[in-house]
Amino acid sequence: MIGIEQRSVCDGVNFRSVRDTKFKTVRMSVNFLLPIQKQTAASNAILPFLLSRASREYPDFTKLGERLAELYGAELNADVQKLGDVQLLSLSASGIADRYALHGESISTELSKLLCSILFDPPFENGLFPQDGFEQEKRQTIELIDSEYNDKRTYARQRCEEIMCKNEPYGINRYGSKEDIKNLKREELTDVWRYMIQHAKIEIMVLGDCDPQPVFEGFYDSFQKLGKRSAVACPTENVKKADQVNDVTEQMDIAQSKLVLGFRTAISLQDEQVEAVKLMVTLFGGTPSSKLFLNVREKLSLCYYCSAMFISMKGIMLVQSGVETKNVDKAKEEILFQLEEIKKGNFDDDEINAAKLSMCNNYRSLSDSLGGLEAWYLSQTFANYVKRPEEEAAIISSVTRQQIIDAANMVTLDTVYRLVGNGVEKE
Amino acid sequence: MNVMKEIKSSRIGDRYYEINHASGLKIFVYPKENNNSTYAVFGTKYGSVDNCFKTSDENEPSTVPNGIAHYLEHKLFESEDGDAFARYAKTGASANAYTSFDKTCYLFSCTEKVYESLKILLDFVQSPYFTEQTVQKEQGIIGQEIRMYDDDPQWRVMFNLLRAMYHKHPVKIDIAGTVESIAEITPELLYKCYHTFYNLNNMVLCVAGNVDVYKVLELCDKMLKPSKPVSIDRIFEDEPDSIVESRVEQKLSVSAPLFQLGFKEKAGKTRLTVREIADTEILLEMLASDSSPLFRRLLDAGLINQSSFSYEYFEGPGYASVIFSGESKNPDAVADEIKKEVVNLRERGLDAEAFERSKKAVYGRMVSSFNSVDNIANTMASLAFTEHELFNYIDTIASADLQSVQNRLNSQLRPEYSALSIVRPIEE
Repeated sequence: MIGIEQRSVCDGVNFRSVRDTKFKTVRMSVNFLLPIQKQTAASNAILPFLLSRASREYPDFTKLGERLAELYGAELNADVQKLGDVQLLSLSASGIADRYALHGESISTELSKLLCSILFDPPFENGLFPQDGFEQEKRQTIELIDSEYNDKRTYARQRCEEIMCKNEPYGINRYGSKEDIKNLKREELTDVWRYMIQHAKIEIMVLGDCDPQPVFEGFYDSFQKLGKRSAVACPTENVKKADQVNDVTEQMDIAQSKLVLGFRTAISLQDEQVEAVKLMVTLFGGTPSSKLFLNVREKLSLCYYCSAMFISMKGIMLVQSGVETKNVDKAKEEILFQLEEIKKGNFDDDEINAAKLSMCNNYRSLSDSLGGLEAWYLSQTFANYVKRPEEEAAIISSVTRQQIIDAANMVTLDTVYRLVGNGVEKE
Repeated sequence: MNVMKEIKSSRIGDRYYEINHASGLKIFVYPKENNNSTYAVFGTKYGSVDNCFKTSDENEPSTVPNGIAHYLEHKLFESEDGDAFARYAKTGASANAYTSFDKTCYLFSCTEKVYESLKILLDFVQSPYFTEQTVQKEQGIIGQEIRMYDDDPQWRVMFNLLRAMYHKHPVKIDIAGTVESIAEITPELLYKCYHTFYNLNNMVLCVAGNVDVYKVLELCDKMLKPSKPVSIDRIFEDEPDSIVESRVEQKLSVSAPLFQLGFKEKAGKTRLTVREIADTEILLEMLASDSSPLFRRLLDAGLINQSSFSYEYFEGPGYASVIFSGESKNPDAVADEIKKEVVNLRERGLDAEAFERSKKAVYGRMVSSFNSVDNIANTMASLAFTEHELFNYIDTIASADLQSVQNRLNSQLRPEYSALSIVRPIEE
């Protein structure tokens, strides 16, 4: 078993690495964590995209692209996500392991240099990000927000989360609003960048077939040059219980209606009972042998998908399904009925074991993919104690029947969201 | 008798085994000893395009309802003594299946109880059980799957393009069929298709991960029911070289227009060579990757974005086309720019430096794909059906030369065979 190495670069900057030669690639990422706030969401969100398009050595987007192609199709990616009430801004570089380079190049060294240079030394013109790149990234970020509307399943889920968490930072779109992106000024972004470097909580991850030591040293030197830094706190608010049910129906010109139910579970990542909730959610709707799959889909033939997921940072459970408009309420009733069944303890040991085996299988599989490892350790950022996926699997395996029932009895329905077609149904 | 062959790649540093099993099945086992997980796929060369066929034992061809291969995939999970998912629930394997244009594959991924999971896979795929009642039950579920795709603009823009390019070829038909066509499906038709295409001589088993080849074979010896060698004639109407229409539009609930631009190519019964496929990959990388001049012009003009623009070489039995896709406020302008660039490149000739760079990029991505057992097993299955070999493909990329890619350019991407499909927002 190959373990994870953890060390600190400086205040608020963690460095984690997993070196494993079974991978044919390397992946390194720098992840900035900042509280998500309405005023700063848009200006933060555009930053990783802006940074990833050029460096001082390769100030031109195409030249940088050529350099990456040269490095055997290496990739430089920017991403923005939410981790609870925290905005997660990521820049990552990935490429093949040095042993596969045809002419003896060290891909990992080049990638780590590239990553440091785009982060710490942007190709500023008079202290500002170049105008053309700024305009391009503004447009592209707006188009990213627009494209979220195209995938109806994702859109419905986002709407439910927005409605449910309208009074919590989590309700803010990860990219900020379109309006705020439009109104961004190039002049403000240098300070936003400086603030991120100086005050974000930072998780650096180096994974795969490469020696992390030189990468660590590269980042260590870069942060030393910046002088003293201080990381801001990144709290996440957890609403334990829904006092009343939000019930929202919206219309759209679509063939299939979407139903999303948002629940509060009272338990989140830092709570001891979190594994019991995860297991309960899996038993409820996480696998093809779960209550929702077997009843809403297989028994009643109401849908193609009906599944439950748990957002551990927020202690939120979401159930999603796609159904005919006339069946939306029938599906909702069945979903709530199945949850009651779990609350009453109406499930057998086979169902518990199936959920446990499925989850353990998923956790153990994480160590076979760099993306999987990275996502797991990032999800653990705010845990009291960072576990390896295998440790998490062991805890899941030890959850008892009573703990599942107790977890289910803490669950309250917070929001019912329906996205329905405009009445006319083609048959 | 089983015949086993070891295939090694000094370039990748891996090896796998190819077995011609006595039952008629072709088996590939790719051990990855340091992996936690194992991925297995049991597939048949039978997809949505195979809707008219005749076996060597039959006199007349049969035509079956659209979407039946996919319907069969759903129904095969049920056996007389229960559902395959319920059996997998005891091993913890994560199981699934998919139907594409030219194949149907059943798969699982697991970290423990590998051979028990494999036994389930081999068993249920060989045990059809269809009744009026079970077939009826699936209408609602698949009906909702079809409806979900009706709202998926990416899916719609693609099938609209395929219908604009293909007159006769069934690649233009939705993989799941329509609510109407699946209503015609009966247990008898499912058995007919099953017994035609789920013949082990028409199938492949690929296992990649933490496995022992001999244990896999031992289980196969026990589980596989020998199939009578049979040849299947897949009947396609003649497809003209021309396209149907050069431009199609649909309105859907989207926020900005989406497009696909396709360049149809002549494609007969013989499939493309590995060299042709590799050369096209490199050519497309040179033409339209993030570092290409074309991409830059489109980006600077605000016509495309990085997150949605992509291209692929879409090819299968009787069809081949290069397809560009993305979101754009002005898809016609994107199509014009792409066509102009193709003409330019043809006239000027390809740049040697760009060629070397693109070759390295395609090679690197291919190396990266060997990390994943899912990828390895699925790729081996696809290649088996086209009689290509996994390691040969990466060697072919590494040995590509400019002239050969240039020749490819001269025969591909003809504007007179191109069609543009657009999905636009519904106006308020």
